[in-house]
Amino acid sequence: MSVMTEARTTPNTSAGRRGSLYDVLELVLDRGLVIDVFVRVSLVGIELLTIDARIVVASVDTYLRFAEACNRLDLTNNGNATTLPELVGDVTEKGAHGKSKGALAGAVEAIGDTIRPSRDSGDDDKPRSTRSRRKEPAE
Amino acid sequence: MSTYVYGLTRSAHPLKLDGAAGVGADPAPLRAVRADGVAAVVSDAPEGLRAKRRDLEAHEAVLEALMADGTVLPMRFGTLSPDDATLERELNAHSGTYAELLSGLDGRAEYNIKAAHHEDAVLREILRHDTALREANEALRAADGGTARERMDFGERVAVALEGHRERDAARLLALLRPHSVAERPGPPVDGAFLNVSLLVEDAQAGELAELVETLRGEIGWLMELNLYGPLPPYSFVDAAPGT
Repeated sequence: MSVMTEARTTPNTSAGRRGSLYDVLELVLDRGLVIDVFVRVSLVGIELLTIDARIVVASVDTYLRFAEACNRLDLTNNGNATTLPELVGDVTEKGAHGKSKGALAGAVEAIGDTIRPSRDSGDDDKPRSTRSRRKEPAE
Repeated sequence: MSTYVYGLTRSAHPLKLDGAAGVGADPAPLRAVRADGVAAVVSDAPEGLRAKRRDLEAHEAVLEALMADGTVLPMRFGTLSPDDATLERELNAHSGTYAELLSGLDGRAEYNIKAAHHEDAVLREILRHDTALREANEALRAADGGTARERMDFGERVAVALEGHRERDAARLLALLRPHSVAERPGPPVDGAFLNVSLLVEDAQAGELAELVETLRGEIGWLMELNLYGPLPPYSFVDAAPGT
């Protein structure tokens, strides 16, 4: 899917990725104008692509996986090593300009704030990014 | 034969319908059903049409082509009218509502933003800032992983802390993104993302938004993946339709 349309005068989103349709599939499937008197084609098969995100995965596996992931983390190696003050300085210098500047610094600063405990998160078994799946039927 | 509806535009829209292919294995030509001030872009729906990936792509491509030349109200994927006459009646009956929806979207497009933590990075952040969890982690490590029960309890505490990070980072990102938009709507939950939000953005604001996302990606890319998609047809900002 080409997310950008040539004739449009909008500046191209350099930050935007020419994603596959999969990246915005949930919008095409769940959003858009609905007119009650009309029907909808069968989505059998298509729904399989998105149902994934709507299943709450049993959490025991998740907990064990987190525990194992934490166990193997090397906390002495800061890897990305940018410390918080540096980060804030960088951002303000490089300039997210204008009105976003202060807020941006604020947000970056906030990363690493004390953690506010909250309700639990769901999870699954994919390795790289954190997962939260909540049961929420399509509207 | 039923009529597949892609989207609505003003009657004055140029409606260049030659290039794009519609839904179905052997797509019927696109055409317009015109009514009082409003036009619907449609094609004949093949008998027994069942949605396939190809059809989703066709739906999206038709809308994007229309967006290039004017404002469009994207229909939800898969919308079928029993026939053209029914569609025309519907357009005439609610033409005022559709005109109003169209006006609200002039010069604006939807941008979707998704953010997901890199797991190791966010877990490291959690442990770095929570002494009790860090100590518990050390104790388990010293005990060669501990018992299954201990690991589970510890993992649950990590999960709770993680949810806190997710909520907080989502709120912070939104606070940064929001000023570059005129409206927002949370997207449906998607696998992995702690933030899925659609913004309605003025064409003139789109550059700022892209720049902001780029800057953020540079600064906090080590912690999360941040993606911006758009301009998209305004799927998330058309739900004030009659009877919905």
